Amino acid sequence: MTLQETIAAVLLAAGCLFYIAGTIGLLRFPDVYSRLHALTKADNLGLLLVASGLAVQSGSLRIGAVLLIVWLLGLLAATVSCHLIARHALHATPPERRP
Amino acid sequence: MIEIAIDLIIAMGVVGLALQTILGASVFRAILMFIVFGLLMAMAWARLHAPDLALAEAAIGAGITGALLLVTWRRLQAMDGRTPRVGIAARAPWLSIASGIFAAALIVALGWVSLSLPAEPAAAGELAWQRLPEVGVSNPVTGVLLAFRAYDTLMEMGVLLAAWLGARAVASELRPGALPGPAHAEVPLVGALLSLVVPISLLVAVYLLQAGGSAPGGAFQGGAVLAAGGVLLCLSGRLEAAERSSITERIGLVLGLAVFSCIGLVMLFMGEPMLAMPGVWAIYLVETALLLSIALTLVLLFAAAPGLRRAP
Repeated sequence: MTLQETIAAVLLAAGCLFYIAGTIGLLRFPDVYSRLHALTKADNLGLLLVASGLAVQSGSLRIGAVLLIVWLLGLLAATVSCHLIARHALHATPPERRP
Repeated sequence: MIEIAIDLIIAMGVVGLALQTILGASVFRAILMFIVFGLLMAMAWARLHAPDLALAEAAIGAGITGALLLVTWRRLQAMDGRTPRVGIAARAPWLSIASGIFAAALIVALGWVSLSLPAEPAAAGELAWQRLPEVGVSNPVTGVLLAFRAYDTLMEMGVLLAAWLGARAVASELRPGALPGPAHAEVPLVGALLSLVVPISLLVAVYLLQAGGSAPGGAFQGGAVLAAGGVLLCLSGRLEAAERSSITERIGLVLGLAVFSCIGLVMLFMGEPMLAMPGVWAIYLVETALLLSIALTLVLLFAAAPGLRRAP
């Protein structure tokens, strides 16, 4: 196993850990806000780690740049959809029951 | 070993998600399961070395169909005033059992027939592969769609147009009404997202069209991606339903069918077989027209409207 492959494997494994943590949070946390917290934090960092792992493994600058764009687009979509879901949840609860 | 494990997980996931889709307690849950099912199907196609199908499944099967189903659910809620909770499986169990038995019998029959056929070399495929250089595109899928199997592709466009006309006919009876107003149109983040994602959807659509000649891609995938941008504009209230379709929209709806048929007929009068492509430029011209028609049809289907206009 070369150094490049080792770094890629470590990054991929770390990324998978974040995804597992996020999934457990999504399943176990009590309300919308904490679930969103678990999901978005884990996914953003998990995707970054997986993308960097794949970029290191490919060893190509072009593929690395494409993966960077993929991560940025995922980040953008996750941020906005998280914001919209949280906003909808907040507006759907009556003011006296809001956290 | 790992590859077999991945394939097994995908296969079990596809079957599990299909079961969840038809047995789901609520329509909403079934729709979500169907979208995830589409994404997993895309992975299955990718594992089977069919990247063109994977792209089409992800963009059309999961993306656009998912959006259409979700908006239909929303409209059903608005029309009924209540959430449709009970799935078809619970409403008519005998029907689902009967269709399940029928589908299983069909699969067994097809499998039995295909196993009992003599193993002949795939004559048509071999011939198409050998003559692909004459077409001028190096992606065999695009070559087959536009040159060797052009009639099917033309008919698919006809089916898409017929689907839109059918939806119009039903809509004029049922009058689904406007979508419940977007509650988040004024959120600044949505504007920022749209200003980035809609141009990117145009860019990716054109890229997929151009790449279709030599790599996975093509008019259907590109059209679905472009339609996704249009769906976002509808959802966020930037585009709204118009009473009538404009002349541009009518031309756009039939553009793919018209350009394709024109080139095909011209070639017929010039003594060539019908729908023969006079060159690579013709393939790209037809693909561009197809892409525009597909994208416009899908967005109009999503909006359930004869036309669209910019929101004031």
